[in-house]
This record gives sequence, structure tokens and C-alpha cells, in this order.
Amino acid sequence: MDSRRSPARLALIAPPALYLFVFLAIPMGLMGLLSFRPALRGGIANFDWTPTLEHYRATFAEGGYTRLLWLSVGVALVVALITTALAYPVAYFLAFRAGRRAPLLLTLLIIPFWTSYLLRLIAWKIILGTNGAINSFFLWTGVIEEPVGLLLYSRTAVVVTLVYVWLPFVALPIYASLLRIDRSVLEAASDLGARPWQRLLRVTLPLSAPGVFAAYLMVFIPTVGEYVSPLLVGGSKGSLYGNIIEIFFGDGINWPRGSAMAMIMLAGVMALVLLIARLVNVRRIVEEP
Amino acid sequence: MKLVRLLVPMTLVIVVASCGEAAETTTTTAAATPQTGTPLPEESSTTAAPVNTQLSVLEWAYYEVPDMWVEFGAAHPETEVIFNFGASDADIFSKILAGSGEDVMHWYSPYMPFYVEEGLIQPIDTSRLTNWDKVPEGFQQGCTLDGVVYCVPWDWGFTSVLYNTDQIPEVTSWTALFDEAYTGHISMWDDGASGAVPIGAYILGTNEADVTDAQLEEIKQMWIDQRDVNLFYWVDEPSLEEGFTSGDIWAAYAWNGAYYRLLLAGLPMAYADPVEGRNTWVGQYGISAATENYDLALEFLDGKLGEQTGTNLLVQYAYGHVVPEYFSAVTDENLITALSLDDPTILDRTNFTVPITRDQYERYVEVWTQVKAAP
Repeated sequence: MDSRRSPARLALIAPPALYLFVFLAIPMGLMGLLSFRPALRGGIANFDWTPTLEHYRATFAEGGYTRLLWLSVGVALVVALITTALAYPVAYFLAFRAGRRAPLLLTLLIIPFWTSYLLRLIAWKIILGTNGAINSFFLWTGVIEEPVGLLLYSRTAVVVTLVYVWLPFVALPIYASLLRIDRSVLEAASDLGARPWQRLLRVTLPLSAPGVFAAYLMVFIPTVGEYVSPLLVGGSKGSLYGNIIEIFFGDGINWPRGSAMAMIMLAGVMALVLLIARLVNVRRIVEEP
Repeated sequence: MKLVRLLVPMTLVIVVASCGEAAETTTTTAAATPQTGTPLPEESSTTAAPVNTQLSVLEWAYYEVPDMWVEFGAAHPETEVIFNFGASDADIFSKILAGSGEDVMHWYSPYMPFYVEEGLIQPIDTSRLTNWDKVPEGFQQGCTLDGVVYCVPWDWGFTSVLYNTDQIPEVTSWTALFDEAYTGHISMWDDGASGAVPIGAYILGTNEADVTDAQLEEIKQMWIDQRDVNLFYWVDEPSLEEGFTSGDIWAAYAWNGAYYRLLLAGLPMAYADPVEGRNTWVGQYGISAATENYDLALEFLDGKLGEQTGTNLLVQYAYGHVVPEYFSAVTDENLITALSLDDPTILDRTNFTVPITRDQYERYVEVWTQVKAAP
């Protein structure tokens, strides 16, 4: 009997599949449908309208929006890169050096998750603010005489806070993939004369690549649509593409435009992820024994 | 298969439960409500009002407390008033549009025409409002469209430039928000249709309903350039007030509530009386077109115009009430200053938020997104 069709398997898959269908697939479908609706008039459940591409046209016609989409993709690539690079040594230490202290350190790493995302972002306002921790420290040491006002309310502040928010999250998949590495392979590398750095670059790193890749995408994909952090610490010029979508859905009561912009972002991100997957050749990495 | 049969109803329960959670509901009955279950005396069953009636209101948080509907609570102790909450005007409008079904809803100018256009509200029979004549004509006009009254105005307040007099001696114009002398110390409200475009229109000598395409383009450019002097856009009043207390912000677009609270906190604040005029916003109540409780809703709104409720709004929340004869109840000097109650002509010199069409509204919101997306 084909195990893929066994009743037990179906029963296990059914709840998440149904959940995803109701709360992901249907809303996505509705959003796609909405993006062709001329305007949100005559009630929400109104299907008496002729489909139009106007909202897609208007999005591309406004140079600012497409510029912001590219910028958001850029910010997401950078944030994902910094986060993954910073998280790798942490995960490496946990997996190979921490020994018996690993569970404790792992708990410490995920402690920030016990606080809400919003609170952690607001905490950065206190750290980066004019009278904040950083300015106070440098004023006290005498390095600066006036508080530096540029720490907060800039796109740099957005990148800094996002890296902080994602860091512990990203260390986990890398840690998991490092744990899976067979230690005898590393010993073999040493026995064959590999120096520690050669061992890291040619054995450990390639073997942990699936985790690194997963971690990178876990940061990159949600960051493209991020809007809370720019709103809180981005200042007047720190908006990202997600902020524009949020305005159309929220204050704008212009769901069709917001839907079209969200669909464009979705298509763009999917294309980019497929491109990255192709360049990195995930299948080869993942399936390699 | 048994498992699947079990799972379907389970999932449905989860769906229903999560939908229920989304609607934050508060049920309140007035303090005078008799214990539920207590049999009412024989005589009262002969009165016209049915026992155990309900009235639902889509409200902003803090207006659900019985102090904000004293008269109705006293007249209808048997009625259970159910409050659901909205976070913004757009949120409240979207909820009603999606069929949330409350009898009464509370919005701020300029939303009234949108409700009328969508057929979501019905005319108000003002002849049955005992307090209607106490409302000044300007406020009544704000609720009138093509000669039909669609709402009952209730709370109002100002928008102007709030500033710290330690850093800025005097502000006489809205252009202070664009002044390079205060670079990095200005904060604008994060809003296009009710914030940025009306202010731009005042500076250009017009109002938000009469803005031409060329003027709109000019207004957009003004705000794009303004970002060089603006530190951050505030989304809620606490973050704005925090900006003033920390010393980061010297001047900001602000409502009089923030002015009042900062005065109370002892900051050297002043609230501009700009040459272009302040803005005056008005909160309005409408009755759902689909309600089965029209009479009760009308009484609720009449009570909103009552003296006790009006005085509570003024004294407890520092917002204006539409009936001027209640102003004399205010004795707090800071509050008198914050609402300019000592200046009888102030309302004549302000720019009331005027009705705009949904098309205009959408264009103004888009202008704001373009400001934010500009390089």
C-alpha cells in the first residue's frame, strides 16, 4: 500500500491543510480577485464590476512605488545577509563548543522571544533615542558633547532593529543543521591533513548549507513586506514598500490598490526566491547524503 | 475516515472561535440597571419600551463608560448597550461596510458622505431630538447633506501647531511645520487625507474640498520637501507627547488633547492661532440603515447631547462638546486654555473639516503614499 495515501497520513495532514486553505489560500484568492476590482464601492461582497488592470498600471506608473519595492528587496537582502552571517558563529559555538552548557545558552538565545515583537522594537527607541542608552554612554565618557540625533529615525535604524529581531530566530535552523553533521566526517578531514579553516570552509560550511539557506530565506521573505519597524524607527524617509500597502488597506480604504501592490510584491519575491534557489542549487545541497 | 469526520467540525469550531475573538466586545449597562433576573414590577411592563432590549454601538475606546451616556442610561436601565470598538475612522467604516451590523456608529468628519454614498446610514429625525436646538448651526450643517440631516455631532477639537516656547518664541502660521530653522525637531501626523492635504490647502489659501489638480501637486511637493525638517511622523498621541517631553520635538501638528496633557505635565507649551486658521474636527454619530432599533438609537443620540454627558466629556476627557451652554461647567484653567473656551470667536476663525468625496479622499491618501515613497 502506498504510504502516501494511508488514512493516518491523510488525517495528520488534513488539519494544517484545511487551516492553510481557509486562512491562506482563500484570502490570497480573494486578494487576487480584489486586485482587479475598479474600486471598493457598493459594499464589499459586490461582484457587479468589470475586471481592470488599472491598479497594476497605476502601481508601475508611479516611479516611487517601484523604487521602494527594489529598495525593500535590497534592505531585505542586506538584513538577511547580516543576520545569517552574525548567527552562524553563534550556532557554531552552540553546536561544537558549548558542550553541556548548550541547552542553557540556547534558552538564553530565545529569551527575547518571550517579549512581544512590538516591545522589542520600542526598546530600540530607548536605546537609540536622543536621550537614549548609546547617547548617554558617550556623553558620560566625554566622547561626544551633544547627543547624536541621527541614530534613530533612519533606514539604518530599520536595518539595525530588524537584524536584532531576527538574529535568535535565524540561529536555530543553522544550529539544527550543524548538529546533524556527522563528527567522524570532521575527524576524517583532520586526519587527511585539513587545517581548521579548511575544514570549516570545505566540510562544515557546505554540510550546513541547507540550514543557512533556510535561515536566509526565513529572514528575507518576511522582511520584504515589513512595515512595523519602518513606522516606529524609520523616521520621515525610512518607509518601505510594506508601509505603502498598509496605507492603502488601512487609511486609504482602497483594498483593490493594496491587493494589486501586494500581488506584485508576492510575484517579485517568489521569482527572486526561485532564482536564488536555482543559483544555489538547493536540491543538490539538500539531497546530498 | 472517522478522524476526518471529527476534524471537520473541530476546524469549524476553531474558525468560529477565532472569528469571535476578533470582535472585541464590551457590554455595559448603566449603573442604575436593576439586577438581571429580578422580576420587574407589574406597572413597568405596561410602558412602551420592551424589556431586555439591546443597542449596539461601534465606538472608539474610552467612550463606552456610562459617564459618556448618562442620560440614556438613566432613561433606559433595562437596555443593554453593547460596545464594539474601532481603531480608526477607516477601520470603523470598513467594519460597517463588511456588515458588522451595529445600530449606531461614531466617526469623524469627513467620513459622513462615505456612509451616505454606500447607503449605510439613514436620516436623523431631528424633530424628535429634545437637545437638537442647543447645537450651533455650524455643527448642524456639518451633518447635513442635500438638506437631509444624517448624523448627530457630539465631540470636537482643534488641530494646530503645538510648540515648546523654550525653543520657539511664537508660531503664527502653519508654515512653521516647514521651517528649516527647526530641522529635525518637527513632527507631522502620519495622515494624508485628514492631515497633510487640508493643511497644505490652508497654506495655499483654499480648503481640502476645493483643491485643484495643480494645487494638489504643489501640496505633494511641499510635504516631500518637508521630510528634510521632519523628525518622524507620529501615529499616536503618546509618541508625539513623548517627543516633546524628551526635547526631540519643538513643533508639531497636534490636537488640543496633547496640548492639555503637556500643559498639565508642566511643559512650556503654546498652541498656535495660525493666520490660515486652525482646523476644527467634529465627531459625529450615525444610525445604521439596517437597524431595528431606530427609536432607541435616536434616544441614545439625544442623550449624547444632554448636559451631564456633555459636561463629563468636557471635564473628564478635555474634548469640546457641541453644546456651548455646557462650557460654563469648565473651571480648570488649563482646559479653558486648551479648548480656547475663553475666546468666543475662536470657532468662527477656524477651518471646519469639510465634506469631501470618496474620490478626493482616495486621491489624497495616494498623495501621502507618494510623499512617503519619494526618493
